[in-house]
Parts: sequence; structure tokens; C-alpha cells
Amino acid sequence: MVGTIKDQDVALSERVNNLVRRARLAAAVFTQYSQEQVDAIVRAMTIAAIDAAQKLALAAHEETRMGLVEDKMLKNLVASEFHYHQIKDKRTVGIIKEFPEDNMVEVAEPVGVILALAPVTNPTSTVIFKSMAAAKTRNSIIFSPHLMAADSSNMTAKILYEAALAAGAPKDFITWVEKSPRLRRETELMMVHPEVDLIFATGGTQMVKAAYSSGKPAIGVGSGNTPVYVHKTAQIASAAMDIIISKTFDNGTECPSEQTLIIDSAIAEPLLEQFKKLGCYVCNLEEVEKVADVAIDPRKGGMNYKLVGQPADTIAAQAGLKVPKGTKVLLCPLQGNLRSHRLAVEKLMPVLGFVTVDSEQEGINRALDINYAGGTGHTAGIFADDDGVIERFSDAINAGRVIVNCPTSIGGLGGVYNNLNTTLVFGCGTGGGNITTDNVGIKNLINYKRVPKRSNFSLTFQTTKNIYINPGSIDNLRNLKTKSAFIVTSASAGRRGHLSAVLERLPGDCRVDVFSGVGVEPDFSTIQKALQQMRQTQPDTVIALGGGSVLDAAKIIRLFYDYPNLRIQEVALNFLDFRHRLAVFPTKMSTQLVAIPTTSGTGSEVTPFAVFKDHETHRKVSLIDECLLPDVAILDANLTKSLPREVTLDTAFDALTHALESLVSTFASDYTDGLALEAMRLIFEALPEVLKNGSSVLWRHKLHNAACLAGMAIGNASVGINHALAHSLGAHYDIAHGRANSVFLLTTLDYNKRIPSKFMSVSSYPLWVADQKYARAAQFLNLVPAQGASNVAVSSNLLSDEQRQAHIKALERAVYDLAEAVGQPKSIAELGIKQEDFAKALPELVRAAFEDMALRTNPRCPLIKEVESLFVHAYPPRQRP
Amino acid sequence: MKEKQTRRLIGELRSSVDEIDKLLASGKADLTVDFSACTFISVEGLEWLEEMLMRAASLQANVSFVNMPPPIYKVFKVAHIDSILQASGSPPPASTGAAAC
Repeated sequence: MVGTIKDQDVALSERVNNLVRRARLAAAVFTQYSQEQVDAIVRAMTIAAIDAAQKLALAAHEETRMGLVEDKMLKNLVASEFHYHQIKDKRTVGIIKEFPEDNMVEVAEPVGVILALAPVTNPTSTVIFKSMAAAKTRNSIIFSPHLMAADSSNMTAKILYEAALAAGAPKDFITWVEKSPRLRRETELMMVHPEVDLIFATGGTQMVKAAYSSGKPAIGVGSGNTPVYVHKTAQIASAAMDIIISKTFDNGTECPSEQTLIIDSAIAEPLLEQFKKLGCYVCNLEEVEKVADVAIDPRKGGMNYKLVGQPADTIAAQAGLKVPKGTKVLLCPLQGNLRSHRLAVEKLMPVLGFVTVDSEQEGINRALDINYAGGTGHTAGIFADDDGVIERFSDAINAGRVIVNCPTSIGGLGGVYNNLNTTLVFGCGTGGGNITTDNVGIKNLINYKRVPKRSNFSLTFQTTKNIYINPGSIDNLRNLKTKSAFIVTSASAGRRGHLSAVLERLPGDCRVDVFSGVGVEPDFSTIQKALQQMRQTQPDTVIALGGGSVLDAAKIIRLFYDYPNLRIQEVALNFLDFRHRLAVFPTKMSTQLVAIPTTSGTGSEVTPFAVFKDHETHRKVSLIDECLLPDVAILDANLTKSLPREVTLDTAFDALTHALESLVSTFASDYTDGLALEAMRLIFEALPEVLKNGSSVLWRHKLHNAACLAGMAIGNASVGINHALAHSLGAHYDIAHGRANSVFLLTTLDYNKRIPSKFMSVSSYPLWVADQKYARAAQFLNLVPAQGASNVAVSSNLLSDEQRQAHIKALERAVYDLAEAVGQPKSIAELGIKQEDFAKALPELVRAAFEDMALRTNPRCPLIKEVESLFVHAYPPRQRP
Repeated sequence: MKEKQTRRLIGELRSSVDEIDKLLASGKADLTVDFSACTFISVEGLEWLEEMLMRAASLQANVSFVNMPPPIYKVFKVAHIDSILQASGSPPPASTGAAAC
């Protein structure tokens, strides 16, 4: 009885569904297997493959009539024994790789159901290889053999499957398409079957193309056309033997095998003589044409498939050549234009083209001609005893494997002549239309699950090493180890007697030079002037004497004095995370930096920051690095006694801002919290007293300490949005930094106390706690909460919401009251900036603030519209909170 | 109204479970299969579950799977057998309209 075509289609479809379903169930069950179970299965398969290596080689040769039994057996052994040796200890289940430094592991996930194509040229070794790879990676695999090799391929699959099953593998994890006239159609249906997860294609170009066109993930291979450059430094005798071994291996069926030799003319004659001596036949030009007539299919211009894997004798006979019996390889000189020579293509048979060249350049270029004539991404070879030539060749040639001083066919298989991964599947990368240039293997049959654990930033605490803090501590200059000091200061230091106080105390044998040109908010040209002067005296010490601007300038001067090749554009470049920033700062400074602050505000004497002003853009530029930290800080409150009231106020409010911002910074720690809280307490206590009696050394000392403690806090926790706003406003309107900070304080307190509209994505800040921190500050400062809230001393994170809000309000009021009491401006309007001017400048102010690095550590991630809103909010005079 | 019965699978499920087959064949009970102590399912075990669910459907008996350990539930997910997924309370496969990124 004969079925209709429709009946046959239904039956075919059922067969396909059945095969794929069986494979699907096996893949599901395989997910439960342990590494030990998998390894036992692969071992059993390997033993079975080794046992059957000869039997399978004979079967393949008998069925295909291609190649040599001996070499097919060798390939079976490479696919089993060598392959096993390479994969046996590899982890393919669970955690397969650990990256302790990155706090990450890789976990294996099987790819699922694999449809594997097996080629006619390697019908048994490919099946051995792919079966073992599938088992090792817990995948199920369906083989679609080549019609002309289906019996031997399926026999191989059956032998390995039975061994695996006996070792405990899931039922049906290896299946195969039975030989039939509709085998090709069945394969095509499986390629688009929804239950097939991956196509593992090795075979004819059309099948590989079909695999890639299926819409499924596919691992395919490209066609080869291996050029081999025999450089004049090559070992001639061994090169000849290696090439013969390779080109005769399985009668040339291996696709990495040599196709055209490019021979340096200096060694051409002895090399060809060696080939002849070892049993090759060098054709004359007339014979070359005869060989091309039979080896090349004139319709397609490619190799004649009927001669694939046939011995040289057979090919010579078909070409009408009389060659000695047992001739190993037909060597064909390719004269004329190599790019268009008929034999300059892949020939999977013992026919080998060659050309001679007169230089390395010509040699590599002719190799490229062959490489790009249908073999890009596949394989190339070189024989040379010159690493430079090998490197230049490898750099030029587009090949997934460049085999050096080895037979390219067996060398390409990996594991025999070199340490390449053993494979029967040669990835060719994009040059061959593939996704990989790998010697494809188990690593390509795994879905890698990366499991990165949270990497917390490693917090450290750093500050200036030696800090002298008593009033009168300037006397410590007498013991300073220096032979040549460069004092960076401002003109006012001379007027206030500070400069002479320093000069009197420096060691007698110390040469001293003074640069007094640092004004308020210096720009980089001031730093360059100082550097020019400094380089003439070659000092070993820089003494920074003055306020924050002077100290910051001195830090930059010291940096560029020690490292004149640094580029300011790079070291001042904005960054998101300093661990990944582009700028590379030095790790060691050779010039000593002594910081003597004469104001109580910036804390620059203990911070790794330096700010200068870019007068062209009206923006402040920050440098941040540990190398900017001074070596010595001298905090002598006597130097602040003559500080004018306005400067005292501005700088104290700068320090208060430091304390408030570092407390809630995303980089805050227990270490900086303590410093910030104590700095706040000292400021609230000392500032009113200092204003009452500016010459009181005791209260000046307390205020000086407060600024330094707050400096240590920001030196490690950094600042926040208040500074971003103040930098922008201050640079635009030339407003003193501390004063600019003070007009935003109440606005930013109000902003940061609220649940962020956008949280900061900082690994080391797992929880937004700004409101708790503010409440804690209120507790620490012993501020009385508003009526209705409990004043029982409990941890700020245990306060009720109502209590917490009351504490925060108390802190806001304290800040307001302090500013009100001492007459410090609390709003932009109080700075005398006209509303029309402010409105006009607002877009630029927002842009500058949004670029400020101070935002990076703010507890709320500010949106641009919020930054604008904060400016607007800070403008009108404020009411008491 | 059928009575509700629960059966717990213990150890490896490598073939049919007579007790469950008989219970279903009686036509008297809806069945809950508790997988909490199930440590492995073979291909044969999967095939039996599918076939058992088919029989249950023809007998109009409700069968549900509960307490699947993740490795067992993953087997069900990878096997893509609708009836088993349904008995497990697994949501239907995601639509293909998701954005690729």
C-alpha cells in the first residue's frame, strides 16, 4: 500500500515531534544530575568510543569511501581519548568558576535540546565528540547525519548512548534521525521546531547556512581555505614532513588542512626537493591544468566533491597524470594571478597549491589572498623560526587558529601537536559567518549564569598624619625637617603678621622663598605663576599659610611641582566613582606639605580636596585624591584671633555645612559621624562666644578644632548637594564659599530629610537614613524637640515618625536660630542678588550645580528639576521652620 | 462529590506508582500529589505523570501537584508538558511580546 504525499508529511511530522519530545524530556531530567553523575557517564562513553574506534572507522570508510581507515580511527581516538582528557576535570554543573576578587561566581545552565549535524567527512568522530560534549554539559542531543554517512554516524550515536544509559544517563538523551530519503526534510523541520534550543552544525555550507537561517541559536562552522606560509627561517625538512602528514591526513578531508603553500623563494628549491624525496609529486604547468580540470567543479568553481578524500594516485589517474605509485601529495605551482587561479580554493584532497615569494611582505599578502578566498576565520599556518614574522602573520591573517610549525589539520584538531582545545568543530567567527572563533567544545554548550554578589565599597579613613592642635603650636615649625621651604600665602598674611610668625620659627639653615600671590578663589594661572617661581629655588617643603583658597592652591602647586607632566584637564575630570576614574594620580609625593590654616572653615589642612576657580567658565573645579593630603597640619588658634567678624562667620558656616553634609553623606561611616557631630556641637557652642569676644583664644581654639574635625569628616565622607549649589552660586556671583553655603542650608536640610523621589544607587549605602541622621544630630546637640514629641533619649532609628520629624525640626530651628543670632544670610535674596538677574542666571546655575561632584555623595539622588527647585526655594527670605 | 486524597511521593520517581494508579482507577477521589519528599524524576517518571494526568482527565478526577522542591519543579518547567504544568499550578508560558534588551 502506498501512502499519499500528505500521509508521508504527517508521518514525517510525527517522527520529528516524537524525536524532539523524547529529547526534551531527557533534557528536563538531565537538569537534576550532579557533576559526579555526569562525569561517570562521560567516562563510560569514552571507554565505549575507544573500544569501537576501529570498528567505527571501518564503517565510516566503507559507507563513504572517503579518507583513510587509519586516520579515521585516529580521529575517533582524538574525539574520545584526547577530548576526555581535556574535559574530564572541567566543572560543568553548579558553580563552575569562581571570581573571588570580583565577588562573583558562574553557574552552569544546560542549553537544552541540541540538534547536531554530522558531516560526511567525519561521520563517526564528530558524533563521538558532540555526544560526549552534550553529556558533559547535561544537554540532550539529536543527531542528523549526512545521508551518505547515516549508518556509520547512527551506529556511533547508538554505541555511545547505550554506554551512557548503562552509566545512568537519562533515557533518550542521545537520539538520531534514521536514514531515509526524507532525512534532509526531517532535519529542516527540526531546525525550526520550537522545542529545539540550539543547532550545532557541522557539515556542508548549505546545511550550516540553513542552521543559521532557522532563527534558532546556532553554532556553525565556515568553510576553510588554509594558507601556509613557509618562511625562509623554517626548518625545511620537518616543515615538509609536517605538511605531508597534514595534507594526507584522512586523504585531506580535514578542513583545517593546507590548501596553498606560500614559500619564500630562498628556500623554495630545497623545500620542493624535500617534498619530492618524501614521495610528493610536483606538477608542471600543463599538469596543473589537468589536475584543476578534475579537482575543481567548473560549474561552481569549488572542489569536485567526488574526489574529496581520495588518494593522490586516484586523482592523478583521473587527471591523466603518470605519477609514481604511492604518491602522497600532488603539488601544483599556481602561476599567474593567484587571486583568480582555479586551484586557489579549498580542496579536501591531497592536492596542494604553492607559490613562491621574494619577501615577507609578499608572503603575508599572498597568504591573505588565499585566506580571503573563502577561508576567512578558519585556519592558517606558518613555518618560521622568527617570532616577529609569526606575530606579523598572525596579526594580518583572519583565522580562528594560526597553527605554528605544525601540521594544520591535526594541529587544528587540538591536543596532539599543541594545547588547543580538542574539537571537530572549527568556529570561524564573523569571517566565516559564525558567532565564535573557538575550537568549539563544552564551553559553547553551557548557558553561563553570572552571580555577582554585592560589592561593598571598602571604606577607609585617612587624614593628615601629623596634626598639631594647641594654641602656640606654630612653634613646631622650629623642628621642621627642611632645608628649603616655599611659602604659599596671600597678601593679608603679611599684614596680619602671620608670615613673619612663620619665618621667625623656621630653622635657621632653611632657605625660604615666599609666594604671596594667592587671592580669593585663585585660578590655574596663579598656580602656574607659583610653580614658575618655585622651580627656581627647588624647595623640599611647601608651607601653605592662609585660608582655604591658599591651602587648596598649595596642594595643587605641590602636585604639579612633583609631577610636572600631569594634565590639569585630566586630574580635574569629573567622575562617577573614583575607583574607576580616568585620571591617574601619583601615589607618592616627594615634597613635604605643611598646612597652617588661618581661618576656621574649610578644614583643607586635613582633606584630600583642592578647589580652584575657572574664571572663563565661572565654575569651580575640584581635584580629589589622597596625594593632596598635607603631611603636617598646624592648628594654632592664635592665628585666627585677628580674623574679621564676617570671615569668621562665613568660614564657621562652611564648617557647619561640612558637618551637616558629611553626617548624611552616602559615604558616611561611624568614624565620620562622630567627627561631624562633635564639630556641630563645637560650632553651636563656640561661634556665638567668638563673636562676643573675637580675641578669646579658648573659643577660637574650639572653633578651629570644629573646622578641622568637620574637615576630617568631609575628607572621608565628602559633602552633598548644599556644596553643589553653593559652588555654582558662589562661582557665578563671586560670593565667599562659606556664605554661599549658608544660604542653602535650610533648603537642603528640608530636601534631604524627605524620602527621595530617586534613591542614590551606591553599593555602600544600602539604606536611606538621612532623616534618622538629622534626628540623631538633634539628640546629640541636646536640642529640645517641639511640643508633643517625646524627649526620652532613644536611638534615633527607634523614634516614631512623629518624634523623628520633631527632632529634625529642632535641628532646622537650631540652624536658623544660629544664623539669625549671628546675622548670617539664610537666603539668596539676602546676598543682594536681584531677582531678575537670578532668574536669568538660573539655567546656568542649575547646569553647573548638576555637574558638581558633590552631588555624588548626597543621600538623595537629585533630579535636574529638583536642583532648579532648590535654587528657587533658596531665594526668598526664610521664616523660622 | 469526590473525596479528596493526598499521596506523598518519597524518594526517586522512576516508574508508575501503583497506589496512585489504583486510587485514580477507583474513580472515587480527587488527588493531591505531594512532592515534598521526591528527590528525582526520571524520564519514565515524567511519562507516567503525563499518562496518569490523561487518565485522570478522562475520569474527570482533579489532580494537583503540591510542594515541589525547586529541582523537581524545574524538571516540569523544562519538560514543557502542559498537563504537568497545569497540575503544578504553573502559569502559562510568557507571551513573546516582551522587549529584548
